[in-house]
Amino acid sequence: MTAVRPYFEFAKVAFSREATYRFEVFTSIGSLLVRVYLFRMVWTALYFHNAGIRELTLAEAITYSTVALLMSLVMDIDQTRLLVSKLDDGSIAMDFMKPISVPLYFFSDGTGEVSFHALLIVPSLILALFIVHIQVPDPIVLCVFFLSFFLGYLVGLLMNFCLNCIAFWTLEIQAMQLIVTWITDLLGGEVIPLVFFPPLVQGFIYFLPFAAMYSTPVLIYVGVIGPDEYLRALLLQAVWIVVFGIGAVLMWRFGSRRVVVQGG
Amino acid sequence: MSTLAVWADVYKQYWRINFLTALEYRANFLVWFAFTFIYHATALAALYIVLREFPVMNGWSFSEMAFLYSLWMLAHALNNTLFLTVGDVPEHVRDGEIDRVFVRPLNPLFQILTTPQQIFPDELILAILLFILATIWAKPIIDVWFVIFMPLVVIGGALIDFAINLLIATCAFWFVKVDGLRWVAFQLEQEFTRYPISIYTKGVRLVLTFLLPYAFMNYYPATFFLDKTENALHLAPQVGLLSPLVGVACFCVAYAFWRVGLNHYEGVGH
Repeated sequence: MTAVRPYFEFAKVAFSREATYRFEVFTSIGSLLVRVYLFRMVWTALYFHNAGIRELTLAEAITYSTVALLMSLVMDIDQTRLLVSKLDDGSIAMDFMKPISVPLYFFSDGTGEVSFHALLIVPSLILALFIVHIQVPDPIVLCVFFLSFFLGYLVGLLMNFCLNCIAFWTLEIQAMQLIVTWITDLLGGEVIPLVFFPPLVQGFIYFLPFAAMYSTPVLIYVGVIGPDEYLRALLLQAVWIVVFGIGAVLMWRFGSRRVVVQGG
Repeated sequence: MSTLAVWADVYKQYWRINFLTALEYRANFLVWFAFTFIYHATALAALYIVLREFPVMNGWSFSEMAFLYSLWMLAHALNNTLFLTVGDVPEHVRDGEIDRVFVRPLNPLFQILTTPQQIFPDELILAILLFILATIWAKPIIDVWFVIFMPLVVIGGALIDFAINLLIATCAFWFVKVDGLRWVAFQLEQEFTRYPISIYTKGVRLVLTFLLPYAFMNYYPATFFLDKTENALHLAPQVGLLSPLVGVACFCVAYAFWRVGLNHYEGVGH
């Protein structure tokens, strides 16, 4: 138990740190609500002008976008970004001297940060309900959704950790991370549900890690992925967790050996 | 030397340093170029996917939407090339660097705009290429008016973009940390300029026309040049040609606010 204690404290500090930026909290909730409203307008206009049967009804499309946006409050956070800034200013050297596991320190710091932002989902959801009507599935579906959301979150966390580890070699990774962010937004189905993609692209896009992050949980939520496909969908997410997990371990092991602090 | 000659010389030196920096950090430059390219490519891909599934977008086809996008991209890229450093003002206020511009005998805003960065007109070049492609494809009416007004519209659009960024940056003199606000404004700009504003509700159309006039960056000019029936606010199509005026007016308002901010500034204490 005592071994866990310091990491719990790291998380608590990160949590309070995030809570101090009150203005940032308001802007992030405000911008989320504006985007919920934007998506409602866009989907309404598109469905109004284009009759026809689609994979998603208008109500489902609006639900999809709202759920995806609420998830982004947590998903958009790069938990282990501290690693890059610490490599940049060299303070990582100090962390290596402390009697702690450095990667666990980064993870607990990020967990504190994410817990705070996860709490923001509640007021955001309540306010969003004034703007849009969202469908609520059966409790069982909801449970599977939360499980899948958690798995998707882990995929994102480990993928970002691998990316951050690249900084051991290059120091600068901001542009690369932004590239991955834009690609994730598009191919992960955060902005446009993957069911609207051209059939040819749909053939392989579901197998990419990006789909495992956003698309799988939300498609479970709106019912496009039915109960008979749950196992397959969740297993695929688990596969990506294992792949990035192995990647993370290897990259940390080889990367952390390269730390050379210049001057100081 | 006259003031104007000093300004011209400073500006020339500024671009010389920019180019030399880009040449020095080639790998970094290439990665950022890839970023710019992928950012705009994913945006266009998203538009394509939506229009493939929903072909009718208030009477706008994909080629016309690409033209709409390329107009925004041109104005935005011009702003990013010439005026990007204004976004660093909040940071300079926080770390006290801003004090430097007050003790030098040159216009403070001009000094901010000539702070050497790693800026290269790569995005502008991409924007021009996309604009040419979209123009060939969407077939707007190309006449004398198009040739005369298009550059003015783009400059006006860049000024609108710049003015709104300057307004936000100036807030830093009071609130110090405004990075969140800046990010939000950028997100709203990129999302609300992507579609013809006529698909939005009346309130939003009014905001995008009069309050945060992003619609003058692309929607109104595109409506005019593509000869579309303007049905957002049922204005005369010629309002699209007002973009340069709107840009200058926005800049004047933002610059006045900037002066107020400068007078208010007392330093954060160091």
